[in-house]
Amino acid sequence: MNKTLEHKFISDLEENQNIVHKVCRIYTNNKEAHNDLFQEISIQLWKAYPKFRGDSKFSTWMYRVALNTAITLYRKSKRTIKTQDFESVLYRIESIDYDDSEEKQLKLLYKAIHQLSDIDKALVLLYLEDKSYKDISEMMGITEVNARVKMNRVKTKLKNILNP
Amino acid sequence: MDQLELLKKDWKNQDKIIPKLSKEELSKIIHRKSSSIVKWIFIISILELLIPITLSLCSRKLRATDEIEKLGLTNFMNIFYGMVFLVVLFFIVKFYKNYKAISANSSTKILIQKIIKTRKTVKYYIWFNLALIPIITVVLVYQTLHSPEIIAKNLDNLSILTIWVLSLIIMAIVVGVFWLFYQLIYGILLKRLTKNYNELINNEINLQNI
Repeated sequence: MNKTLEHKFISDLEENQNIVHKVCRIYTNNKEAHNDLFQEISIQLWKAYPKFRGDSKFSTWMYRVALNTAITLYRKSKRTIKTQDFESVLYRIESIDYDDSEEKQLKLLYKAIHQLSDIDKALVLLYLEDKSYKDISEMMGITEVNARVKMNRVKTKLKNILNP
Repeated sequence: MDQLELLKKDWKNQDKIIPKLSKEELSKIIHRKSSSIVKWIFIISILELLIPITLSLCSRKLRATDEIEKLGLTNFMNIFYGMVFLVVLFFIVKFYKNYKAISANSSTKILIQKIIKTRKTVKYYIWFNLALIPIITVVLVYQTLHSPEIIAKNLDNLSILTIWVLSLIIMAIVVGVFWLFYQLIYGILLKRLTKNYNELINNEINLQNI
């Protein structure tokens, strides 16, 4: 693939890398796994880039490829699944002022998210990113009604894990 | 505050603190090797496509063509191999086309469907190969029992029946072992995909009826 395309892609990726980091944060629970998934998503984005036609926003397209990689293409290593540390959660907490109970709740929330299935994790991410049901249904290939039903279920599931 | 609202607020705040990778770092990353499941599925499928071909080529070399001629099967074997070759070719083209259609640009549902379809082609290919074993066994045993040498030995009905039963049992064991082994590979490779796919589409049919 030619150099101009590569430069353009790297600029786009650099600008929007937050999206990839966020997907990694939802799907992994330690730095090593985060970097691993970040690498695989970046490779898949680059592979798919020539086919990106600009009929959707670059960021929407990135969500789609990144989530597809996390749900479908990424091969989790056993080591990753067993690790139970939550570095990715801890790296931000120091810089924002939360009271103790909020911080505790957040830790519990992130822990609860990590217990969800691959599909549910995608839904949580899209909820947090305020994506419309139309976007969600297009990204996942399901109907809007189904997206809505699934979203309500995952919210209830999270609440149930937190308030047993 | 509602717990999910709290989560959302925290989520929005992280933008400022997410580590930023430089262009140089990103450039290095995209040139690393992918370790995606599709790549593994591709490698394993190619091996599965090649193994029966290699086995049949080897067995053709090893098997005395004289014996085949003696049994009067030369023509049958030539036509048989010709047909098998065409079918194998069809499977390889189909597999390649399916594989090429896999793209992370698709929606999640279509992407999983395409990967499963690619594996299904290999599944049908394996079934086809397994189906050949009984055909070959029956033809060979039948022709051997009707060859002049065996007829001259004047075997009684019981011996003929025993030969048939033993041959068929051995054949069934061979097919069974291959089939089990294949199911294992198929299952391991597609376990997570199938689980995610079923979860994704569940409700879909029920909801359409509302």
